[in-house]
Amino acid sequence: MSTPKATDLGGRALDFVMGIVEAPINGFERLMGRKRMPYLFLAPNLILFGIFTFLPIAIAVGYAFTGGTGLFVSDRPFVGFDNFRQLLQCEDYLRPGSCRESLFWTAVWNTLWFVGFNVAATLLVALVTALILNRAIAARGFFRAMFFYPVLLSPVVIGLIWKWFLDRNGLLNAFLQMLGVPPEIFLLDVGWSRFFVVVVSVWFHMGFYTLILLAGLQAIPKDLYEAAAIDAASPRRTLFRITLPLLGPNLLVVLILLMIRSVQIFDEAWVLTNGGGPGTANSFIVQYIYQMAFGSDLRLFGLASAASVLMGLVLLALTLIQLRLGRKMES
Amino acid sequence: MGNLKLTNVTKAFGALTVLHGIDLTIDDGKFVVFVGPSGCGKSTLLRIIAGLEDISAGGIEIGGRDVVQLSPAERKIAMVFQSYALYPHMSVRKNLAFGLENLKFKRGEIDTRIAEAARMLAIEPYLERKPRQLSGGQRQRVAIGRAIVRNPDIFLFDEPLSNLDAALRVQTRAEITRLHRQLKTTMIYVTHDQVEAMTMADEIVVLNGGRIEQVGTPLELFDNPRNLFVAGFLGSPRMNMLKGKVMAVGEAGVTIDVGYGAPLAASIDPAAAKPGQAVLVGIRPAHFAVGDEGLPFVVQYHESLGTETYVYGTLEGRDEQIIVHQTGHFAPRSGDLLRIMPLSGRVHVFDPDNGLALPQTVSQRSDAYEHA
Ligand SMILES: Nc1ncnc2c1ncn2[C@@H]1O[C@H](COP(=O)(O)OP(=O)(O)OP(=O)(O)O)[C@@H](O)[C@H]1O
Ligand SMILES: [Mg+2]
Repeated sequence: MSTPKATDLGGRALDFVMGIVEAPINGFERLMGRKRMPYLFLAPNLILFGIFTFLPIAIAVGYAFTGGTGLFVSDRPFVGFDNFRQLLQCEDYLRPGSCRESLFWTAVWNTLWFVGFNVAATLLVALVTALILNRAIAARGFFRAMFFYPVLLSPVVIGLIWKWFLDRNGLLNAFLQMLGVPPEIFLLDVGWSRFFVVVVSVWFHMGFYTLILLAGLQAIPKDLYEAAAIDAASPRRTLFRITLPLLGPNLLVVLILLMIRSVQIFDEAWVLTNGGGPGTANSFIVQYIYQMAFGSDLRLFGLASAASVLMGLVLLALTLIQLRLGRKMES
Repeated sequence: MGNLKLTNVTKAFGALTVLHGIDLTIDDGKFVVFVGPSGCGKSTLLRIIAGLEDISAGGIEIGGRDVVQLSPAERKIAMVFQSYALYPHMSVRKNLAFGLENLKFKRGEIDTRIAEAARMLAIEPYLERKPRQLSGGQRQRVAIGRAIVRNPDIFLFDEPLSNLDAALRVQTRAEITRLHRQLKTTMIYVTHDQVEAMTMADEIVVLNGGRIEQVGTPLELFDNPRNLFVAGFLGSPRMNMLKGKVMAVGEAGVTIDVGYGAPLAASIDPAAAKPGQAVLVGIRPAHFAVGDEGLPFVVQYHESLGTETYVYGTLEGRDEQIIVHQTGHFAPRSGDLLRIMPLSGRVHVFDPDNGLALPQTVSQRSDAYEHA
C-alpha cells in the first residue's frame, strides 16, 4: 500500500515539468510538423551513439586494412587483407602453436572454453536463484539486494577483492589451513585459475541475470499455477511444463546477453590473473586485442582492429541466430 | 459423491476477516450459485472449497470426506477460472490432457475423454490450436473442457462469463445449464449477476459482507426475501420501498398506512406486528396494477423495451423514485398522474430497525410462479 500522498507528489512534479517543457515542445512541433517530432526526441541519443559507437566501429574496420604503427590514418599504409591473413594463417586451428598468431588462437580457444562454462554456470545459478527468490521466502528483499549488489561494483574492484581472497596468504588459504588442508596457490595453477575466473564472473554478473529471470517469473499469471495445482501437477512437472516454457523468452534474452558479454570477458579476469596468467592460461580475445594495440608499446593497431572486426562478426552472427530463434519461438 | 458441507468456515487475511463462520450444505448434483456484491467473499469461499486458500477455522467435507488438509488435486474438484487460466504455450489438446497426464492416465483413456469433451463442447476443430488463436468464447469452452475431462465430483466456476459479450453470455449460460443436466454433477457457480443466478441455479446462496444472507431456490428468494438486502439484491429493477405504519392487525394479516388514505393489505403473521409500528413496505415494479384506484404516481419518464415498459416516477409529493413495470406498449407522458395498486399477496413488509422481513401467514407465491 503506497501512500496516496506520494503518488500525488509524483503527479504534481510531473505536471510541473510538463508545464515547463510544453511551450518549447509545442514550438518545435509547429516548426517541424507532427510526423517529424519523434526523430527530434531520438536525435540526442542517436548523436551520442554515432560518436561513441558507430564512428569507432567504422574507424576500426578502416584500420583493420592498414599497417604500420602510426596512430593517424595519414601515417598508415593500406595493406588490404594482410592483417586478416596473418590472424587466420594456421596449419591446424586446434593447435594454436601451429598458427602464425599463436597468441590469438590461444586466446580464441581460452575464450570459447570460458564462454561455454560461464554461460552454463551463470544461467543455472541465476535461474535457481530467481526460482528461489520468486517464492514467498522470508527477507526476500534483502536477498534480492544482496545478489544484485556485485553488479554495482567496478570490474577492477571485483578482480582485486577476489585476488586478495585467493592469494597465497589470502582468506581462502587461511580458512583451508584452519581445516588442515595444505595451502594452494590458486592463481598460479592453470586449472584452479580458470575455475576461479568462471566463479568470479558468475558471482559478478548473476545478479543482473537473476533480475531479468525474476521479472519473467513474476509475469507468469498466478492462476496458471492454481490451475496446475488443481490439475495435480507435481512441483517438478510444474517447473518443466509450466514455468520454464513460459520463461522461454526471458531465458533467450539472458542467453544472448550472457554469450555476448562472455565473449567480451576482459577487465576482471585481467586484474584477477595478473594479465592472463599463469602463462597464457587465461588470455582472452579482448586481452589479445588490448595487448596488440596498447601493450608493451607494440602499437599493432591494424592487427588489433582486424581481430576486433573478426570478433564483432562472430557476435553479430550469434545475435542474428538468436534473434531468429526468438522470432520462431514467438510464432 | 459431490455433496459438500461447510461448517463455520472462517477466513481472515491478516487482521481482515472476510468470511464469518459460513455454514452451508450442498446436496449432490445441485447447481448452486453464490451471489453477492463485489468484495463479499464469493471468490474466497470458492477458492477455499477448491483448496487454493487455507481456512482460518471451520470444516469442509466433500462426499463425506474431511478435505481441509487435502491439496486441490486430492479434492476431486475442477475449477473454471474467470481468466480461464489456460496454459498459453500448450495446444488445446495438451491443455485438456495435462491434468490427466499428471494423474498417470493411459494414453487411450486420455484420448477418449478429450474426444468426448471436445464433442460435447464443439471444440473439435480447435484442438491443435493455441489458446491465443481462439476467441473469448472458444477459450471459455476449452476451460470448461479442461474441467470436464477430469470427471470431478464438484465443478467450481468463478464468474466464468464475465469476459464474454452479452449475446455470448446468454448462450454460454444456457450451455452450462445443459451441461449440468447432462453430467448431473454438483456445480458451484460464483457470479454477481443476479440474472445468471436466477436463471441457472437450483439453489442460490446470497452472500454479503462475508456472511450468508439467505439460501433457497431462486423463486423462494424472489418471493420471500428474508431481509432488505436480499429483497434489494434480487430482482431487476430493484424492489420499491415505501415508508409506512401498521394501522390494524387482523386475523388474515395487517393493514398498513403509507399515506394517501389508501391502506395496503399485507398477509403478515398477526403475532409479528403491532399497531403503530413503523415498517418499510416493499413492492416489486411488476406487482402494481395501473387503474382507477391506488397510490397517486407522478410519471417522470418511461423506457419501452417493446414487450415491456418501465415507468419511472414518484408518489405525489414525495422524492423516492418508484418504478412501475407494465407488459406491452404503454406510453404515459411526463407529469401524468396514474393510480397504482399493489397486487394482493405481493406486499413485502420489513422492520426498518433490523432489516428483517416480517413473517408471512402464507408464503407469497402466485399460481403462475408455482414450481415443483
Ligand atoms: N489474498 C488476499 N489478501 C487480502 N485480502 C484479500 C485477498 N483476497 C481477497 N481479499 C479480500 O477479501 C474480500 C473478499 O474478496 P473476494 O475476492 O472473495 O470477493 P468477491 O465476492 O469474489 O468479489 P468480486 O465480485 O469483486 O469478485 C475482499 O475484501 C478482498 O479485498
Ligand atoms: Mg470474485
